[in-house]
Amino acid sequence: MFKHFIFIIIALSFFFTQLAGAQIASTGFEEENNIYEKVYDAKLNLNNGDNRTLTQLCASKPVILALIFTRCSGICNPFLVQLKENLQFKTDTDNFSVLVLSFDPRDTREDMVNLSKSLNLENNKQWLFATTGDIEKLNLSVGFNPVWDSIRSQYDHDALLVGINKEGYITKKLIGIRNKSDLELLIRSVNDVFSPSYRLPNKNRLFSCFNYNPETGKNTPGLGLLFLTLPAVITLLLLLGISYTVRHKRILI
Amino acid sequence: MQNSILILFLVLAGMSALVFTFVYLSSKKAGKDEQGIPNPLKTRFWFLLILFVILGIFASVTIPRSPYFLFADETPVRVIHVSAMQFAFLMSDKAIDPKNPVGEASIELPANKLVEFRVTSLDVNHGFAIYDQSNRLIAQTQAMPGYVNRLRWKFKEPGNYTILCLEYCGMAHQVMRASLTIK
Amino acid sequence: METIKLRKITSLWIITVLFLFIVNIVLGIIMRLNQGEILHEQPATFYAHMTTHGLTQIGIWFVAGMTGINYLMERYLKTSYLANVVAMVLTVTGILMLWTSTYIGNFHAGWTFLYPLPLKIMWAKWATPLFLGSILVMGVGWLTWSVSMMTQILKKYPLTKALAWQHFRKNPTIQTPPFILISMITLIGIITCLLGAVLLLAMYAAEYFSNGAFVNDALLMKNLTYFFGHTIANEMLYLGLAVIYELFPEVGGRPKWKATWYVALAWNCTLVFILTAFFHHLYMDFVQPVGFQIVGQIASYMASLPAAGVTVFSVLVAVYRTSIKWSLTNLLFFIGVAGWVIGGLGAVIDVTITNNFVLHNTLWVPAHFHTYNALGNVLFSLAFFHWFSIQFSEKTDFEKLTKLKLTLLLIGGIGFLLAFYIGGAESMPRRYSNYPAEFPMAAPLAIGAAVFATIYLAAILIFFFQISKRCLNILFSSSSH
Ligand code: HEM
Ligand SMILES: [Cu+2]
Repeated sequence: MFKHFIFIIIALSFFFTQLAGAQIASTGFEEENNIYEKVYDAKLNLNNGDNRTLTQLCASKPVILALIFTRCSGICNPFLVQLKENLQFKTDTDNFSVLVLSFDPRDTREDMVNLSKSLNLENNKQWLFATTGDIEKLNLSVGFNPVWDSIRSQYDHDALLVGINKEGYITKKLIGIRNKSDLELLIRSVNDVFSPSYRLPNKNRLFSCFNYNPETGKNTPGLGLLFLTLPAVITLLLLLGISYTVRHKRILI
Repeated sequence: MQNSILILFLVLAGMSALVFTFVYLSSKKAGKDEQGIPNPLKTRFWFLLILFVILGIFASVTIPRSPYFLFADETPVRVIHVSAMQFAFLMSDKAIDPKNPVGEASIELPANKLVEFRVTSLDVNHGFAIYDQSNRLIAQTQAMPGYVNRLRWKFKEPGNYTILCLEYCGMAHQVMRASLTIK
Repeated sequence: METIKLRKITSLWIITVLFLFIVNIVLGIIMRLNQGEILHEQPATFYAHMTTHGLTQIGIWFVAGMTGINYLMERYLKTSYLANVVAMVLTVTGILMLWTSTYIGNFHAGWTFLYPLPLKIMWAKWATPLFLGSILVMGVGWLTWSVSMMTQILKKYPLTKALAWQHFRKNPTIQTPPFILISMITLIGIITCLLGAVLLLAMYAAEYFSNGAFVNDALLMKNLTYFFGHTIANEMLYLGLAVIYELFPEVGGRPKWKATWYVALAWNCTLVFILTAFFHHLYMDFVQPVGFQIVGQIASYMASLPAAGVTVFSVLVAVYRTSIKWSLTNLLFFIGVAGWVIGGLGAVIDVTITNNFVLHNTLWVPAHFHTYNALGNVLFSLAFFHWFSIQFSEKTDFEKLTKLKLTLLLIGGIGFLLAFYIGGAESMPRRYSNYPAEFPMAAPLAIGAAVFATIYLAAILIFFFQISKRCLNILFSSSSH
């Protein structure tokens, strides 16, 4: 009986950690586009006065590109705040930088400086803020498609993160506000870590055997794996149970 | 590859058949008082040890060459998205929308450059197996709904390559196919 | 000693198995003729044959092994007749349900019914639940039988003795007969994989009855499917080995084999390896973590070591330069072990991931598993059937036609199997009702295979008539006999 009890506890705890981990990945297949294509080599006007192009910037360190506009009354701000929070706890910050790039031609360097100040990131080396004159070509190369809504005076657009490796290739994209582990996958991809497969977004993860943990690069067992060991566990209990019950009836040999 | 596999197998099978025949004949000829093998435990030990070493060598040579590690540290020049469905393969440079799946009529890929196939399925499990011009299977992965398998490959020779489904997927499984042109 | 009731039900099992085997071989030949373009069936009909053939073969050779160990078990302890009858009733019911689902309902998702294929209905709507139900019915019958037999063993031998752990110490006072050890190890494996089947069916039922609210994970379902399918197909071979350990020395007029520390160790290890080896069915699913793939290869390699180093070696040692009484029983055992070894070689080649990359789901797969079934496990069971049937016969012409039967079996079997191996090396896909134009050799090979399979069938027919005749005698003899 005690053993059953322990078992149920373990099963339940698995269940709940899984539930907590199951998140809403918002998008579908669009993320899959443009992978391993070269990003457009846009000229940047960085906040710090640096005038490198995007490819030159990547060559020194892989880039995670966030496309926003400063007059956004919608998703841009929460998106950046979330990104900052997700990255705050990362100790290893050397292997990529974050480039916040405006896609609104009205944005000036001053707007970008103000944005960085409002996020308290003006002195953070990892975060770069910039505008560019080549935004249309860049948008095209990463499959980003903001639509001007003249009634609201706002752009309709996705929250997009693009991972670019040192060679200037797009390795992965994330659309929508995503959790830390998806972000980790992005960081690993810009550093050219290959994993032979991945799960499509928006799938029920509850019963999956393994959940890829990008922070460690390992697969953690999921509820499904527990299911897989269940028959063996039941057999073992059965074996011990039967062996215990019949011990009185044993004929000595 | 497959030819050497077949030869290896036939040689090993032939050797086993010979051993069994030889042992059988030795029993047929044996007199009443023959005692068989003198020290079976010791022979058994050596037999097992040799087998263990052979398998160990085999494992350590082959495992690092498994397809999961193929071209892992290179960047592909092309990505082809593959969505398998009953009973066709959709292939495209663009990602394929599951709600409105369309593929390209023909796919051309460069020879001797790394390409990556991102293989998934829209319904049941399928196989994605690449056959070369002489109809020899050269690479494969499975197409599983909800997952994407990334198969990286460099085609050595230009020409026409055939794709066949290698996971039973229903009554038209045997005609589920596609092709690639390597330039 | 065994009761008359047991004798009768054993006879009934044997007749049933042999009869279904003949039907199944005919299905196999029909499939080969269809692939050879001699017959022209609908693809769906071909796949219905394939589903029926696959599951029926697995079923009958599993119960054939169980019949053997149940009968011989009575030498050591009392087994449950009731469990035996329950298994018989449920197996026959299950087979009838299966055949109804495939031939009336036209269900054809393959005997491995890989998720979610059975739920994509391309046949009568009721055929899916009936097919899954047939597995449940047989599974419950076999679970009852296995659990009951395991209980009976544990009534006599404490768990550690049944697993022969006392042999790891010096000079054990109690001997565990190898037959008991192997049966016990195998029964544990069987119960585990049958429970896996129950779980798999529960997941199917959850999805089937939830009307789309619940969707399974394809990777988990595939793991569960092969956990069940691969393991049961392997364990049924071990049932045959238990019978060999018991009967091979006996019919040869040699002293009984004893358990030793290495026999105990080998079989205990086998239990672990056999339960993790199924990962090799998912090599081409790159979604499976690489660690598991490597475990798959290593466990599959390791599973072959105790088998080769202990069982095969013991059989060879027992024969080498030793005068033994050769009879049909012995010969079948001996040739069966050779077939098992050769099929095992084909398996070890395929279980190497780099080879699997170009062999997976080609004809190489049916090639190797038909080798250790059609020329391995089947011969183990035939040996037991023959041995059993002559126990209670007054006549003495048991060895009639021995040479003919063995020659037909070997020529037919080897020819039939070679066609599969060559097809596999030529990259021909398995489970194709018709081969595409890329493989001009495939159809002629299939025709050749059908011819050889017919030769094999001829041998089985002789076995069937001889053995069934004696078994019918046992079945209908008055109980005073
Ligand atoms: C001489 C006798 C036999 C013949 C002619 C025969 C023929 C066949 C054929 C033609 C196939 C389909 C191969 C393909 O994928 O294209 C097949 C599959 C199969 N056979 Fe046999 N077979 C024989 C004996 C056996 C035995 C003894 C077993 C025992 C377990 C067995 C179990 C299976 C299984 C499990 C499959 C797989 C079905 C599937 O792919 O779903 N067969 N057989
Ligand atoms: Cu298919």
